[in-house]
Amino acid sequence: MKNKSKVKSMPLKALIKGQKSKLVKKFFILFIAFMLIAAAGVVYAADAGKSRPLMPLPSNPPIPTDNPSGTNVYPSKMDKKQELGYLLFFDPKVSGDGSISCADCHDPKQGWGFADPISRGYPGTVHWRNSQTAVNSGYLNKIFWEGNTFSLEAQAPAAATGGVAGNGSPDMMESRVRFTPEYVQRFKEIFGVEWPNMDHVWDAMAAFERYLSQPDTPFDKFMKGNKNALSAKAQKGMELFKGKANCAACHNGAMLTDEKFYDLGVADAPEFEESGLQQVTVRYQFYAKGSAEEVYRTYKHDPGIYFTQKRLEDRGKFRTAPLRYLKYTAPYMHNGTLFTLDEVIDFYNNGGGVDRWGNKTKILKPLNLSKDEKEALKEFLLSTSGEEIRLPVPKVPDYAPMADWQPKK
Amino acid sequence: MGLGKRFLYAMPVMILLFITSIAMAGDYPDIGPLPERKAPDSKKAELGKMLFFDARVSGDAALSCASCHNSEQGFTTRMPLSDAYPGSKHWRNASTLLNVVYKGKAYGSDGRLDDLDDMMRDMITDSMNMNMDMQIMQERFKQDEKIAALTHDAYKETGWGKGGMGTSQRGEMTHYVARNAIGQFLETLTSKNVPFDKGNLSPNAKKGRELFEGKAGCIQCHNGPYFSDVKPHNTGVPENPEVFKDPQRHFTYVAYMMFMGVDNRMNWRRDVGYYTVSKDRKDVGKFITPTLRELKYTAPYMHNGIFSTLDEVIEFYNQGGGEDRPGMKDAAMKPLGLTAGEKEALKEFLLNLSGDPITVEMPKGVKVEYQPIPKWKEVKN
Repeated sequence: MKNKSKVKSMPLKALIKGQKSKLVKKFFILFIAFMLIAAAGVVYAADAGKSRPLMPLPSNPPIPTDNPSGTNVYPSKMDKKQELGYLLFFDPKVSGDGSISCADCHDPKQGWGFADPISRGYPGTVHWRNSQTAVNSGYLNKIFWEGNTFSLEAQAPAAATGGVAGNGSPDMMESRVRFTPEYVQRFKEIFGVEWPNMDHVWDAMAAFERYLSQPDTPFDKFMKGNKNALSAKAQKGMELFKGKANCAACHNGAMLTDEKFYDLGVADAPEFEESGLQQVTVRYQFYAKGSAEEVYRTYKHDPGIYFTQKRLEDRGKFRTAPLRYLKYTAPYMHNGTLFTLDEVIDFYNNGGGVDRWGNKTKILKPLNLSKDEKEALKEFLLSTSGEEIRLPVPKVPDYAPMADWQPKK
Repeated sequence: MGLGKRFLYAMPVMILLFITSIAMAGDYPDIGPLPERKAPDSKKAELGKMLFFDARVSGDAALSCASCHNSEQGFTTRMPLSDAYPGSKHWRNASTLLNVVYKGKAYGSDGRLDDLDDMMRDMITDSMNMNMDMQIMQERFKQDEKIAALTHDAYKETGWGKGGMGTSQRGEMTHYVARNAIGQFLETLTSKNVPFDKGNLSPNAKKGRELFEGKAGCIQCHNGPYFSDVKPHNTGVPENPEVFKDPQRHFTYVAYMMFMGVDNRMNWRRDVGYYTVSKDRKDVGKFITPTLRELKYTAPYMHNGIFSTLDEVIEFYNQGGGEDRPGMKDAAMKPLGLTAGEKEALKEFLLNLSGDPITVEMPKGVKVEYQPIPKWKEVKN
């Protein structure tokens, strides 16, 4: 004990005796830091309630330091990791029964999403929400309709193992990849591992999804200064978006989402009442997401982000949807109840839907948009989509026996 | 401590040693008729039968229990290596479910679980078997009006203390209820009219029994009314090359080893058997002694179905079993020197351990679709 206290006190003594100037310097740095934080706080407080400006997308999504890959995006050439992710994204080995891949619910022909109101599920099941596009997902900080996943690297396993999604088990999926010589070779080259493992599978998929970015839409070009990129009508729509229609209150920033949570009063999916298979999934969700018995017994609506913290004031809230690539991603809303952009605009023009939980956001008010204004708004919304991103379905590599497969004692 | 007291303490130990020495000298639990078991609840067993044949018990609704435990094929299948969940292939022979309720412990050919309910749980949830999320399974069955009604009828008197959501309501389907009902159905799959049990053996079969308990030494492991000591032994059964030749079987086995936490799983080129459970190198290649009852209906034989006939099995033991590294094989395995007549007698005895064929017809009303619940918004989930 004595020794310990001696050691502890030594640096302090040194500071007091010999390094006074250094100490002053340290305090000065701390003081500056404190002032900066305080200033930031004031700016933040002033900003509260105001929305962020609309912005163009950066030329590529942020690349995480623990999963480096090329910054190239569609349609330039993929780097090796993105290419591996491309194969895995389309490979049904990464699912429970080897029959579906990521691309079955995130289909390039369906806007890298799924064109039914409610996404298809794992065979024998159905999902319970609309499948969102993979395009531009690399720019998001919050993923899924509940915004409860914070990276593509974390989204991939959640989807691949979810009971009504991929229903894969990591031990089986990893073994399948290990018995695919082309994958073994590619993983060795890219990750330097003797045998592929699932973490690297998710990494490669995420790298591929970052490749599915579209930072050069008419909207982006306009925001970067090309005033001819948007028609006069679309520019009028943009003014409505920011002004009278107030869309930008939530749909702002480069991804046209504040990534916050709101209840809009979207109607229930009719499937909940009409389909037995759907009812199986709805009850399963209430059960599997760990809600109380009362919720399981009595809820008939999707309570959204209520599941993440079980707070009553969160019922009915979903993360603001990004508005990019929407030309190809109908139907809309978390349960696909609105089939066209016109229906969506009418929904907001009417001030949103029913306040079922008492949580409906006050931001929504009837907008009194004229027919022309609606048309202009729609034209602007379509300007956030570029050309359709189409990639062919790649031929995925085959299994092979181990080179030394003969039984041995 | 006085000498007398010391003797008193030493007595039980000495008796124990004495008993052990007798056992080692060749006193094994007697073979004999299976004891009576409590009759299963007929309503629960009837529900269990429905579920046994219902493919909705598997993740993608492609397989039922009966797919690999075929009611027409001795509640196993005639394939040496079993089918498995789509996207994988099994590396072992499906064990028969006939009389499985008598096993009592060490379920599976590597004996990984000691509780039949736990084993059913794993059969349902394992990625290579049913790959089923049991919470989804429960909700599937709740959606089926007929199953819900049968469940209510069979379980309305029973309140379950475990099993998850919905257990507070008696007579409601939960995944625990589902397994319980299947367990009650398994209670019905027991031998009937077995010549051996009825003491109805031909002279040749009687001679076979003497060999079984004597010269052939089968009794050393195949003992008790269940004809198994339910313990792991290495008899040197040859590997089935199909397991490693077919990448799907091999990776399914690798996935299982990963699930069981077996080391060095990419490099094993043999089925390590009980080692997956014990992680003790001396247990590599050991498998739980299977029952010999109803073997007339359960060919092919061994954990990997490597022998297709009883003659092959008898010859295998006659030669002292197979090969393994020194010290790995069970010491009981020695060449037997059986004559052709003796082998025939032994075979006749073995065949008399099987009774009437036990077949179960698929019940009517097993569905794969779901109807919406009427007035869904008004009724409780």
